[in-house]
Amino acid sequence: MKNTILGFSITVFSLLACNNNKAANTITAESTTTTPVAIKADTAIETTTQAFSTKEIIAGYLQLKNALTKDNGKDAAAAGNAVVATLAAVDTKSLSAEQLKSYNDITGDLKEHAEHIGSNAGKIAHQREHFVMMSKDVEDLIKAFGKGDLTLYKDFCPMANDGKGATWISEIKGIKNPYQGTQMLTCGSVKETLK
Amino acid sequence: MKLIKKIVLATCLVFLALQFFQPAHNKSGQVLSTDFETIYMVAPKVRSILQNACYDCHSNNTKYPWYSNIQPLAWMMAKHIKQGKEKLNFSDFGSNTTRKQISKLKEMANQIKDEEMPISSYKMMHKAADLSKEQQTVLSKWLDETADSLSRIN
Repeated sequence: MKNTILGFSITVFSLLACNNNKAANTITAESTTTTPVAIKADTAIETTTQAFSTKEIIAGYLQLKNALTKDNGKDAAAAGNAVVATLAAVDTKSLSAEQLKSYNDITGDLKEHAEHIGSNAGKIAHQREHFVMMSKDVEDLIKAFGKGDLTLYKDFCPMANDGKGATWISEIKGIKNPYQGTQMLTCGSVKETLK
Repeated sequence: MKLIKKIVLATCLVFLALQFFQPAHNKSGQVLSTDFETIYMVAPKVRSILQNACYDCHSNNTKYPWYSNIQPLAWMMAKHIKQGKEKLNFSDFGSNTTRKQISKLKEMANQIKDEEMPISSYKMMHKAADLSKEQQTVLSKWLDETADSLSRIN
């Protein structure tokens, strides 16, 4: 009896000690792997030599927008996660240092909104809150880096965002409101045709 | 009977053993130049709400209650604080780009309005964090206004 208890407590102690070691290991690993990660990213760019384009990011955003117009939080979340994946794969090699700074500023924020939307499939109101800010990022991205050969419109809904109004980018001329969804699908107006 | 006794004894031993393993406390006396209250003029009413309801998990300084020294509570708390700081750290808020600061200010306002924050388990133990309707309005209004003023400059 005594032996079993003793044995048990020893096991517990050693297990905990192992855990502690593991934690320490991961910390040191994190701090030392910064350079290898950078090298890895470089090689990845070399293997997939694509020209820089915002087109795929915009396409992902539009998919997200269309899911919200249908009140479909699940599809919106999937599209949000797809945007995160797209952002990770974009080749920014051809950008100048200044362009890269602006690009990272916009997409750093864009990524966080896409992540939030991706992890809140069941909370469409929360997804829409993030979509307000994400739409602003996408608009700035288009203004700074173009939109490929897409024809896009900037739409406005005066009721969204707690009555402060919010914009979104759309590929169709008719209004399909991602903030109101099926409740008030055609509410809003085209503010601008993006060139 | 003997088996039950063994199990109870073993559980007690494990509980006792756990007490020897305490995570590091989230406490830093240093005020960074990127601190939220350094970069923004925070109204006194807003500051007291932030201190009572937010900073424990969203800053580099947690006010630890007595039960924070009991395991496994200490681990749970350390995990919450780590996650909280990853999303938002008032002590280092200025390290975010202006764009991100605006986003985070708006998100904070939204989370307060939607009553998603502070989380209910925290409110249970911290009565001061259970914000009144008036406190919610004061805080979210200030956050929204600060975000809007930043948007206008940029």
